Order: sequence, then structure tokens, then C-alpha cells
Amino acid sequence: MIDLTRPDAVADDYVLGLLEPGEMQIVEAELERNAALRRAVAQARERFLPLDMTAEPAEVSRALWTRIERNLQQQEPPEQRTEAEPIVANDNRSIQNAGFWRVTSFAGLTASLALAVALVWNLTRTAEPLVVAVLVNETGEVQAVVEDFGTERAVVRLLADVSVPRDRTMQVWTLPSKETGPVSMGLLPQARSARLAPPSLPTPKDAQLYEITLEPAGGSPTGRPTGPILAKGFAKVTR
Amino acid sequence: MADMTADPLGTELGACARGDRQALKRIFDAEAGRLIAIAQRIVKRRDLAEEVVQDGFIAIWTKAHQYAPERGSARGWIHAIIRNRALNMLRDGNREDLLSEDAIQSLQEADQPESVLNAWAALDRTSRLRSCLEGLDQPKRQSILMAYVGGYSHGEIAGRLSLPLGTTKSWIRRGLASLRECMA
Repeated sequence: MIDLTRPDAVADDYVLGLLEPGEMQIVEAELERNAALRRAVAQARERFLPLDMTAEPAEVSRALWTRIERNLQQQEPPEQRTEAEPIVANDNRSIQNAGFWRVTSFAGLTASLALAVALVWNLTRTAEPLVVAVLVNETGEVQAVVEDFGTERAVVRLLADVSVPRDRTMQVWTLPSKETGPVSMGLLPQARSARLAPPSLPTPKDAQLYEITLEPAGGSPTGRPTGPILAKGFAKVTR
Repeated sequence: MADMTADPLGTELGACARGDRQALKRIFDAEAGRLIAIAQRIVKRRDLAEEVVQDGFIAIWTKAHQYAPERGSARGWIHAIIRNRALNMLRDGNREDLLSEDAIQSLQEADQPESVLNAWAALDRTSRLRSCLEGLDQPKRQSILMAYVGGYSHGEIAGRLSLPLGTTKSWIRRGLASLRECMA
């Protein structure tokens, strides 16, 4: 079990390769947004680097570079590369706060999810979103539905009352890929359902993460989520 | 970018991110030999180590734009890519499948594989890591070296040192904590 309140210990286990594959994925997702963990991992790598330097360099065959070069030809140029893998796919644990989602019983959600999705269907017969994400809070109650139409257009429907302090705003985020990190889709200044005009992003994918956080009025000062997560969920492609 | 000039490998990674293949070739020429050796300590077989390095260089190329000095030294970042690929190769397959008969035999003779002993013997005597590892009890030091150098899991370390799994885990945890404190 990884304890993200101890980034130094997690970083050591990660760098030594002592984590289980599932834990490793969580740490890698967390690294994208957790500067303290990034720092701890960088320090752990530097601590153990002298052991790598004891490795006696092997003879390198010319053929190895030839094989690498051949594989490079098949790569897209760096600017146009897109990342296909959903890094947090089906991982119920929060990437911001490890304890947050563990209490959630996802089995009990099925009925309310079906209801929410049906609701969305009825409301949006005229235009078809590419994906729908049902966002739930830490106890698994449905809070909001995000419909992402993919062409800089998204709709957020709040399905629960959220009390937002005067100096705070709800902000909607998505994680198109590990590389880009979380991207703001827009603010909900009125704390009610709204149409958003997110920036141009890659086409939303199945299992893409959406979440709403509580940020200072005017939105996150850093361009990344900084406040508590109010609700979060993974996209489903509409069929 | 100015602070990256202090880290020549960082400068090369920056060039890779801009699509300069010659920069990747320069990293390869300078580092591939050591990277193969690092991978081989983990996957044991030379052909698999080359496979790790081959895939690793594609990853270095495609991820170069993600490297930033806040992620540590460029060398540490490059080594991490290679180490992670080697570890994944191990964890995906069964370790024994990766070993030839000879290698299995030679491993069975010692509780610690030669590569781990060699790494310890060759570790720079003036390094902080060396003096801090020397301060640990022998089994803690041994476990940490086996994990880092040879890529052994908790279970494998426990098996080789004939220790209960729980004991091994807590020794490693305490050993790593002492090491962090010593090197801070």
C-alpha cells in the first residue's frame, strides 16, 4: 500500500522497483501533478546513481543503433505525437489524494449511473456528445455529468447542490493524456449547470478523467488543479 | 534553458525534443554501453538487455520533451527509463524464463548474484552513498543492493536471504529510511 503522505518513502520504493505494477501506475499518474513527489523521486534517483556508474560499459554492436534508427523512422515527428494510453483508466483511487476514493463503493453506483446517463440522453437528443462522464463525490453520490462534444464544446450539468464559499469557484478539468496533464475546461462561477468552451483538445477518449475542483475565485492560479476535488469520474464513449 | 548548459546530457535531450536525431545518436554513442550493462544486471541476458536499450532509446526520443531539470539530472532521467523497462520486462515474464540453465545454476550457488557483489565492490569509496550504506546492518545493505542493482522483488530477496517476507520488507523500509537520513 502506498502512502502518499510520505513522498520520500514512496519515491525510494518506486526508484528501487519495489512497487507492484498497480502501485507503480498510481505513482506515475501522481507524478504528473505532485511536485513534492517529483522532487522526492528526482532525489532518490540521484542518491542511487553512483551504483549505476559501477556498471562496466558493454561492447555496443553497430546493429543496435541500426535497429533503433529503423524504429525511429516509424515514429511520428515529436510535435505531432499523441499519447493513446489512458493512464488512469479504471483506477478508482484519486490521483490527488490516495484515501479519497477508497471508501467509494462503485458497485452501489450502477443504478444512479444508469439514471444519470439516461437523463443526459434525454436532454441532448439533438446533439450527440462524444463522451459522457458521470462525476461522483468521495462517498459515491452522483454530483454532475459532463458531456464533451469534442469541438471546443462541453456541457456540465450539476445534479447536486454544492455550497461554494464566496471567494471560491468550481473549475472543471480533464486529463487528455499524461503528457499534457490536467487541462481546465472552464469555470462554473454560478455554481450551476453551464456550457463550457474548453480549449481545443484531442478527441475525448473512453476512460478519460474529468473532475471538478474548488479553486480560488477566477480559477486556479497555477493552471493546474490546486483545490479539493468535489467530484470526479471517467468518460464513457456514447454508443 | 541557461541552467541546462551545466548538464550536457540535458542539452542533448533538449535537442531530441526539437527533433534532432543526431543528438539521440550522440547520447547512444556515449551511454549505450553502460545502459546495456545496467539493464543486464536486471534482466540477466545480454540479448534482452539490448532489447531494453533499443526500446529505451525510442522512449527517450518520444519523451525527451517531458524532461525538465526539476525532474533531476538528465542522466538520472535516462537511467530511470532504462531501469523501468528492464524491471517491466522482468515483472511481465517469469524471472526464471529469462535465465539460461547456466545462469540459474550460478545464481543458486550464491545468495547474492555476482553483479550485485561487483556493484558494491566497485562503488566509489569516497561517495556518500558508500559510507551511508556501510553504516547499515549487513542484511539491510544487502537487500537494498539486491533491489536496486539486480531488480529483485521483496519476495525474491526474502527467498535468497532465507528471511520471512514481512521481516525483509520492514528491513528494507528501515534501511531506506536510515539511508535517506544519512544522505540528507
